[in-house]
Amino acid sequence: MASLSLEHICKVYPNGFEAVKDFNLEIADKEFIIFVGPSGCGKSTTLRMVAGLEEISSGTLKIGDRVVNDVEPKDRDIAMVFQSYALYPHMTVYDNMAFSLKLRKTPKDQIDKMVREAAKILDLEKLLDRKPKALSGGQRQRVAMGRAIVRNPKVFLMDEPLSNLDAKLRVQMRTEISKLHQRLGATIIYVTHDQTEAMTLGTRIVVMKDGVVMQVDTPQNLYNKPANLFTAGFIGSPQMNFLDAKVLPDGGLDLGSAGKVALPAEKSKKLVDGGYVGKTVIMGVRPEHLNDDPEVVGKSNSVLDAKIEVYELLGAEVFLYFTINGSNMTARVNPKTDARTGSEVKFAIDVDKVHVFDKETELTITN
Amino acid sequence: MISNQTIKTSIDKLKAITKIDFSVRSMDGYPVAATDRMDEISVAAAQQFASSPADSQELQGFHFFKVQGEEVPEFILIAKGSGEDVHMIGRIAVSQLQDLIVAYKERFDKNNFVQNLLLDNLLLVDIYNRAKKLHIEPQMRRIVYIIETKNERDNSAMEVIRNLFGDDDGNLITEVDEKSIILIRCLQDEESYEDLEETAASIRDIMNSEAMIDVRVSCGTIVSEISQVSRSFKEARMALNVGKIFYSGDRIHMYSNLGIGRLIYQLPENLCQLFLREVFTKQQPETFDEETLTTINMFFGNSLNVSETARQLFVHRNTLVYRLEKLSRSTGLDIRSFDDAVTFKIALMVENYLKYMEKHRS
Repeated sequence: MASLSLEHICKVYPNGFEAVKDFNLEIADKEFIIFVGPSGCGKSTTLRMVAGLEEISSGTLKIGDRVVNDVEPKDRDIAMVFQSYALYPHMTVYDNMAFSLKLRKTPKDQIDKMVREAAKILDLEKLLDRKPKALSGGQRQRVAMGRAIVRNPKVFLMDEPLSNLDAKLRVQMRTEISKLHQRLGATIIYVTHDQTEAMTLGTRIVVMKDGVVMQVDTPQNLYNKPANLFTAGFIGSPQMNFLDAKVLPDGGLDLGSAGKVALPAEKSKKLVDGGYVGKTVIMGVRPEHLNDDPEVVGKSNSVLDAKIEVYELLGAEVFLYFTINGSNMTARVNPKTDARTGSEVKFAIDVDKVHVFDKETELTITN
Repeated sequence: MISNQTIKTSIDKLKAITKIDFSVRSMDGYPVAATDRMDEISVAAAQQFASSPADSQELQGFHFFKVQGEEVPEFILIAKGSGEDVHMIGRIAVSQLQDLIVAYKERFDKNNFVQNLLLDNLLLVDIYNRAKKLHIEPQMRRIVYIIETKNERDNSAMEVIRNLFGDDDGNLITEVDEKSIILIRCLQDEESYEDLEETAASIRDIMNSEAMIDVRVSCGTIVSEISQVSRSFKEARMALNVGKIFYSGDRIHMYSNLGIGRLIYQLPENLCQLFLREVFTKQQPETFDEETLTTINMFFGNSLNVSETARQLFVHRNTLVYRLEKLSRSTGLDIRSFDDAVTFKIALMVENYLKYMEKHRS
């Protein structure tokens, strides 16, 4: 296995479009790193540059200690898994997994050993004689993974490998991939647009937007300490609530007709010291940090008044949707709540968990 | 493959003209066809000639000749008699048989048929006759994919495609140049263009992951008759070219999704040059610096939205407005207005097209 180093990587297409801008990342050996972001943010392009399927316009890419900018894909010691798990329909699972090794003229006994080892890891041993049409979607995707594993590469590159699977299977395969990472001890770069996949699988996540890295951090830190408005909004489901607020001289936030928020001293100090007094900032609060429990509301000095527009019971929790100052808001509350569609509800804001963003730069002022 | 009966008919006709007897033997020495049994020539004698390096030989009053197929000798022709005249007539007969072998091979060679079909080298009547002989269903929904590899093709690309779309399902696979694999796929009734695009993506993905080759995949439109396959091929070819010029970042190019690029691609170059001269009266697009080009592309990419473009370029809105006004002064086109933006966008595409054509001429 190997570490990777991406230094100032850029991708500019002949028509001038910059798909990836100054991408810098050090990936440690055995790390499971996720590239996440909306469609067209450059995550797949970056992965394809690592694979050698896309030319690097500028910058340096190293796998281990070797600069591989001009190395052919087949010589980079990588393996790829894509979302379309196209298998050779007339070949058995065994032959499907062995095919790439045959292309590389690997000796037969070695092929047999590698295929059987991969089949054992993926629990495909009993299916080796089956043809693809006799397999389920999840089994097919496992065969596609098997084709990558038999190569015994230094780095696995996975581009939305679960996108073609239905929701249930995706959850199941997510666990499988996580186990696989532990078993193989491999370095994996995994591209997805699904933030749940990103949060559950990655040891670190790279959040991208418009070809730019917005933040690189652990899932926990991305959720609790987003570096900017985009990451704050992208990570988390339902997404973080945002409200425009004016900074008061004491460092509190004025939400206009919706009320005032008294921030903890440390957060207020950052706003005052940062010269934000009198300026408009963006306040961010996650749905689970809005509490409608009357006892909590009674003790809080930062309360929002809202009229519930939609009530959604999800079993273990309830989502309440409402509007404040024209912004759509969501609260994730206890299913025992009395709130229903049309109810007037007071929400206590957990001020310790409030995030504040600069309205101009969209960077985080305080988390 | 040529039949024994055809060989027999041919040598019978030759005998009728020349009055010379012929016998055609396999390379193992056994008779295939003859105007005379020629029992005096044993199987062993014919085998001995077959294994010798000589192309022709005179032995015991018989002339022996090797009849070449495309690469290796396929038959032995024995002409009865000695002397120069028999030798010459024997050579004429060999020439006749060789031409017949090649002609019959072509006729029953699926690959040859497909290549000629794609390149419009067949008469309509021949298409149906040969398709029938080759057991190719003439009426069927088909589509042509071109899989173009970045570098000159290696065998693994062809191997992957053959294994993915073996001709058990009526699919036909061939190549017409060093970089392209052509796949004529038989379609299910319910397959839509969306499905076909997914198949193209699968081809790209499997080529990337299995053969580790970067490819572009293009696709024509669906045809229902074998005679229309060449049209689908030409469309796929055009989709590939248009895609490379106007959508170079993409790897899948569907003829049905080419949009305005297809229109520009079909315009004569002199008309394009004229158009560019008319549009850019002041500053030509090749003189734009990188910052200007990035600004223009980002502005178009954000549907002419100034605020969003400024945000993505990490510049103040006023800076962007200044840049756009500067561009307007230098080109006479204010791309904030829809009409000018359309003209500008088309002009840039035309410019790209001319650059591509220029590069590929040199």
